[in-house]
Amino acid sequence: MIKLTPAVINAVTKPARYTGNELNAVKKEHENVDFTIALALPDVYEVGMSNLGLKILYQVLNNRTDIAAERVYSPWVDMEEKMREHNIPLYSLETFTPIRNFDMVGFSLQYEMSYSNVLNMLNMADIPMMTADRTEADPFVIGGGPCVYNAEPVADFFDFFIVGEGEEIITEVADMVIAWKKEGRIGGKTELLRRVAMLEGIYVPSFYNVTYNEEQMMSSVEPICEEAKPVITKRLVADMDAIEFVRNPVVPYIDIVHDRIMLELFRGCTRGCRFCQAGVLYRPVRERTPERLLSLAKELVDTTGYDEMSLTSLSSADYSCLGELVNNLMDTFKEDGVSVSLPSLRIDSFSIDLAHKLQQVRKSGLTFAPEAGTQRLRDVINKGVTEENLEQAVTAAFKQGWTSVKLYFMIGLPTETDEDIIGIANLAHKVVNLYKEVKGRRGARVTVSVSSFVPKPHTAFQWFAQNTEEELARKQQLLKEAIKDRSINYKYHDSKTSFLEGVIARGDRKVGQVILEAWKQGAKFDGWSEHFKYDVWMNAFTTCNIDPTFYNQRERDQAELLPWDHISSGVDKGFLIREYKNAVAEKFTPDCRSGQCSACGVCPNLNVKVVDWSREA
Amino acid sequence: MKKIRTEITKGEEMRYISHLDYASAIERAIRRTKMPVAFSEGFNPHMKISFASALALGVTSATEYMDVEFKTDVDLDEFCEKIKPQLPPGIQLLQAKPLEGKHQALMALIDLATYQITIPFTGDFSAVEKAVEEYNQTKSVVYTRYSPKKGKKEIEIKQYMDKPVKVTKKDDDIIVDIMVKVTPAGSIKPGEVLKVLVENFAMPIDEAEAFIHRVGLYSDGKTPIEL
Repeated sequence: MIKLTPAVINAVTKPARYTGNELNAVKKEHENVDFTIALALPDVYEVGMSNLGLKILYQVLNNRTDIAAERVYSPWVDMEEKMREHNIPLYSLETFTPIRNFDMVGFSLQYEMSYSNVLNMLNMADIPMMTADRTEADPFVIGGGPCVYNAEPVADFFDFFIVGEGEEIITEVADMVIAWKKEGRIGGKTELLRRVAMLEGIYVPSFYNVTYNEEQMMSSVEPICEEAKPVITKRLVADMDAIEFVRNPVVPYIDIVHDRIMLELFRGCTRGCRFCQAGVLYRPVRERTPERLLSLAKELVDTTGYDEMSLTSLSSADYSCLGELVNNLMDTFKEDGVSVSLPSLRIDSFSIDLAHKLQQVRKSGLTFAPEAGTQRLRDVINKGVTEENLEQAVTAAFKQGWTSVKLYFMIGLPTETDEDIIGIANLAHKVVNLYKEVKGRRGARVTVSVSSFVPKPHTAFQWFAQNTEEELARKQQLLKEAIKDRSINYKYHDSKTSFLEGVIARGDRKVGQVILEAWKQGAKFDGWSEHFKYDVWMNAFTTCNIDPTFYNQRERDQAELLPWDHISSGVDKGFLIREYKNAVAEKFTPDCRSGQCSACGVCPNLNVKVVDWSREA
Repeated sequence: MKKIRTEITKGEEMRYISHLDYASAIERAIRRTKMPVAFSEGFNPHMKISFASALALGVTSATEYMDVEFKTDVDLDEFCEKIKPQLPPGIQLLQAKPLEGKHQALMALIDLATYQITIPFTGDFSAVEKAVEEYNQTKSVVYTRYSPKKGKKEIEIKQYMDKPVKVTKKDDDIIVDIMVKVTPAGSIKPGEVLKVLVENFAMPIDEAEAFIHRVGLYSDGKTPIEL
């Protein structure tokens, strides 16, 4: 057990990140369980503690008396320095056990920019970073989360990946490890890998041989043993009501990013925005029933004592029974002072009425995401929102008393012209003017937040050449000059981060050596602007003799083998090709819940169906 | 009765929790009891609980005091029974009593705080004793307090010493007992006294290794529960 002395812990900011003992944290004696796993998120405590997926796995695993699941996050740089100075290895927050001593370490991979932190955590845990360098005494290092849909850039660091929703397969994996341990670890770790490789949803990268052609493009990915599947298809939960949810979340002492109850209404989103990776990965829509949600909500208020609840999903306003659910929640918690919030709003007056109802008194700002400045470009990306929708929503908001509106946009989208960039400014000016029309005076505060588009695997834009940094910078400047009104606050993201994210997101196995080299040169916390070292990364590409633009700024041929083609979300590649064509043709594809099926393939391929309780009833 | 005074702890498990976070943890525990606790009016209602004295991050306490106000009459035993299982690791309820009628704010009651500081030590104990002795004999000691918000401030700290500082040796630790006056004009923190002992009186210890523990809070010689 690791002991932290005051000399270590008094010297760091926010020491409660490292001292555990939170309410609902589960501590078990490791001698009394058959399987131990450290659930890791490669970012700081406040970010890691806010991840819903890990909360679910923590609950599911700790429900079992024969399993101990504990938490570990990236120590902030000040704590890392102290730990290295005092030879303290990375440890778990429940029992202060060195991470090295666990049977398995499971990383949640949410964001490409956290990869250097994965390596840093392994290094702090004294676990070899490369799978090939690990021994029988080292834990299995596994990964899950959205990034594993293109796992190639980190393939050399992980023993295996879990593709898709993890709450069912994680105990199947645990049972296999338990059986293998009880049999005396026959055949060593390779034997366990062979066994799990037979499970649907498991990708063991070392079981595949990857070849490249003379143009350095991937030419084949061949299984080298019979257990390895040619294509690994994601796991998903068919019936959301039948599975366990977080019922006893760990309640932190310090403020975290999402410091409230997270009630997950449904998974999936069928709006079909063509830039959106989550919209493909989590298909199809599967809702929980309002009855189940109400009962979970009551239980969560009892087990946490939180006075805030967020109704989370990819697009919560699309929950088919939202009106009924919100009314029931408000009636139930009226006396307890528990407030209910929606993390995102749809651009329509229904959403405004709902937001008004939820925030009886406090009028914090409203956030909308038109994503693009002109109707033409919104048609390209299949964002089914018209200027009229936005006008109505904003007018309704101003009438209800809101004064500040935040608008999210992307630049660098396929087919984008300068006219589309100017369109963002025009839309923002229109919102400012709408306030004047509604209120008869000035006073709106409009924030325009612009990010740079990063094409992601498994989307209709996975072949698209990302804009160069120069082009993005030019567009950012163009927009800055086009915004004339002082009540508009214009914010944009650093295009260097988007550049690197774009390279890694669509990288192949060769990118792994660049990540390792960048880490060696000091890269960590790349998602934090104050720690992002662009030059270090560029040096790493040079050292490894790899051209980053090969991965992000090259329009790929649709016949090209993509580094993620052997990982399946259940959606057919043919659908993505059709959608790219529709994008260029500015053709709208309707939501399959309200319009007709667009044959993305997920339902027949995975033998599941859309679950929409307003239609089931 | 609508108000309850409690005596609670802040244990080792919560040593590195700030006062504000300690208070939120208790608020959530009270919510979990489902007792009809009172809230302030206004846009941002907060729970009507108050503490005797804020405790710094890094300091534990044997006795903290907190008053809780309710919307309706509640039963003392019922409150104690319901709150105990809801308290997070590191907080224990030691005593509670009903508060009838009007009461001075807890914060204003306290005039004395006592602390015990434990520091790992294997060196020459007589040098430690000498430093403490000299500190106790010195009439006036000025300490400069730096605060990111308020800047630099010079404080004469001997005025806040209720009794001389006492030091004893126990196994591989030394134990420093400090009793400080808490006045409307201010007070001094135990860590600050320790810092002065090291920096001005050459006490040969590493103050970064100190474990500070609050032993008691008093009002006119009595604890707020005894009042």
